Amino acid sequence: MTGTKAGPMLEIDRVAKRYGDTVAVAEVSFNIEKGEFIALMGPSGCGKTTTLRMIAGLDTPSEGELRLWGRRINEDAPWERDAPLVWQNYALFPFLSVVKNVEFGLKQRGLPAAERRKKAMEWMERLGIAGFAERSVDQLSGGQRQRVALARALALEPDMLLLDEPLSALDPHLRVRMQSELVRLHRELGITFVCVTHSHSEAFAMADRVVIMSEGRVQQIGAPRAIYRRAANRFVAEFVGGNNLFAGKASRASSGSLRIDGPFGSALAPLPPDPAIGEGASVTLVVAADRIDIAATRTGTGNEIEARVVTMEVVGSSATVFLETAGGAELSVQRSLHQIEDTPLNPGQAVIARWSQDEGYFLPA
Amino acid sequence: MPDARSTQTRPLAAPVTSSARATRWRFAAFWGLPPLLWQFAFFVVPLGFLVAMTFWSVKSFRLTPDATLANWTFILNAGFFRNAYVYTFWLAGLTALLASVIAFPAAYTLAFRLKPATRRFLVFMLVVPFFTSYPVRIYSTQIFFSPQGIINAALHPFGLGPISVLNTPAGTVIGYLVLTLPLVVLLQTFALANVPRTLIEAAHNLGCGRLRTILTVIVPSARVGLIVAATFAFVLAFGDYVAPLYLGGSKPPTLSILIADQVKSGNHWPRASVVAVIMIATLIAVMTAMLALAYGRKGGKR
Repeated sequence: MTGTKAGPMLEIDRVAKRYGDTVAVAEVSFNIEKGEFIALMGPSGCGKTTTLRMIAGLDTPSEGELRLWGRRINEDAPWERDAPLVWQNYALFPFLSVVKNVEFGLKQRGLPAAERRKKAMEWMERLGIAGFAERSVDQLSGGQRQRVALARALALEPDMLLLDEPLSALDPHLRVRMQSELVRLHRELGITFVCVTHSHSEAFAMADRVVIMSEGRVQQIGAPRAIYRRAANRFVAEFVGGNNLFAGKASRASSGSLRIDGPFGSALAPLPPDPAIGEGASVTLVVAADRIDIAATRTGTGNEIEARVVTMEVVGSSATVFLETAGGAELSVQRSLHQIEDTPLNPGQAVIARWSQDEGYFLPA
Repeated sequence: MPDARSTQTRPLAAPVTSSARATRWRFAAFWGLPPLLWQFAFFVVPLGFLVAMTFWSVKSFRLTPDATLANWTFILNAGFFRNAYVYTFWLAGLTALLASVIAFPAAYTLAFRLKPATRRFLVFMLVVPFFTSYPVRIYSTQIFFSPQGIINAALHPFGLGPISVLNTPAGTVIGYLVLTLPLVVLLQTFALANVPRTLIEAAHNLGCGRLRTILTVIVPSARVGLIVAATFAFVLAFGDYVAPLYLGGSKPPTLSILIADQVKSGNHWPRASVVAVIMIATLIAVMTAMLALAYGRKGGKR
């Protein structure tokens, strides 16, 4: 808001949260920049929701520090913070009408009745729920309740909006619409969105940056595309999906590249700087499914693996082909339909999976 | 073949469902009838008898079946009845209010601030008063408040007192609270424990401090339970005979004292019945009003 605020908006500095013997968050550090759409993503129990609750002040860190514009806020009560939350189950007040729900936060701030009604109606107009103002909350559909919850949070005109699994309770077709609506709102409002989700497709579709968590720790932080192109570890590579993970033993091929031999066959990929990955080590080669080409015959360039077609799934204009090598390794290949229209892909068909050496990367086994 | 099957099943379908319905009815009757019979024999029949008796007359101290409105006109026109009615209603209302207000902080602490193990223990302790019969508890309360009782003995060293509570309306209300408070705390605790935590957290998240959250979210969310608790307190106090007799000294008399007086002086069961029927009607009216208050008028227009 003011020009004097420099540096990251919110710093999460080695924060941990324990409930008795249960560790919800082991240690988490990352920064949230002003105006970004950041997604906390991971499987259930990874600590993402606890992290969000600590940002909102609903849980207090057992260790570490939360700093808002450089000021420690660990001890600030939730009602002293300016980070309204959109709850997974919406948490609308059933004893209040829709418009009274939207006005709730403004009322706590002491805004006069006429002014808060005006503001609430503006937000409800914007989110397309103005027609339900006088209704009772339990007369609304899930999608409408979600909009009420959003209006109730945004009416406070916060610098940061927190969203806890905002799409998980919606029907699939509503989910896609709400997803693009959240992105549009974020762009128009220019405020920080912090969104918790267990779905990588949601996180990758909406967020500028994604924090991938597992077992109370951050596994990787980055732009969706960067994470997808290069996972930091096996957990991320598997969790984000669309990756082939080949296990095997490494051996030197040439300066700058490493050879891997395993049940899948053998392949070359660039030698990584990680000292744990070298000659003789057990390693994992990661190749994104959409970087693998499928052909009927060898060309003699790049990595080529002989395999047989197991099955093929077609979704819209793209297909996922599942292959199995002679050694029993499975691999999946994503292609658009026109790329494979000349290749026969009946189950049992022998094919060549091919990718350029630069497309694969090594991770410790 | 398919034709033959369909013509066979169609006529069969109806008797099958109707016999299933009959089975369901028999099941409901088997389990539902005993309590219904019990209620009919020991509640509906005596109530009918009570109402019938209000039209009887007493001739030379003997009950005589009759069809007179004399008892009704006598009681409804009696100043002592009207005074007792207003007085009883007021004391029972005051008890419901006091019990609700006194119980709330305890119920709030039990529901929100304590560990589950501590909560279970204290809820158990709230049931303990019901181990002893209520008149025994009132006798012990009498000892506490008697002129040379425990309370005055405790106040004396501080130069306070003596306070005299016995044989005053305050004594009656204290007795009513002895009766109702544990129950009101229990009912309020259950009502508050059922308030969704996320609603409380949502209120905090939207800028509501603790006290404000109690008033704006917790009380409205627990409204039904809180009203039911207060209604219980009113109903129990309104009909109580022990507290006004032993702690209130029957002065001024409540309606329950009045019933006993009617019987004792002149064996006038019909007049006592009139008072009892009016009390029952009052309680039904109060409960209907409270339930309407509890369940009616939600957030927005339906």
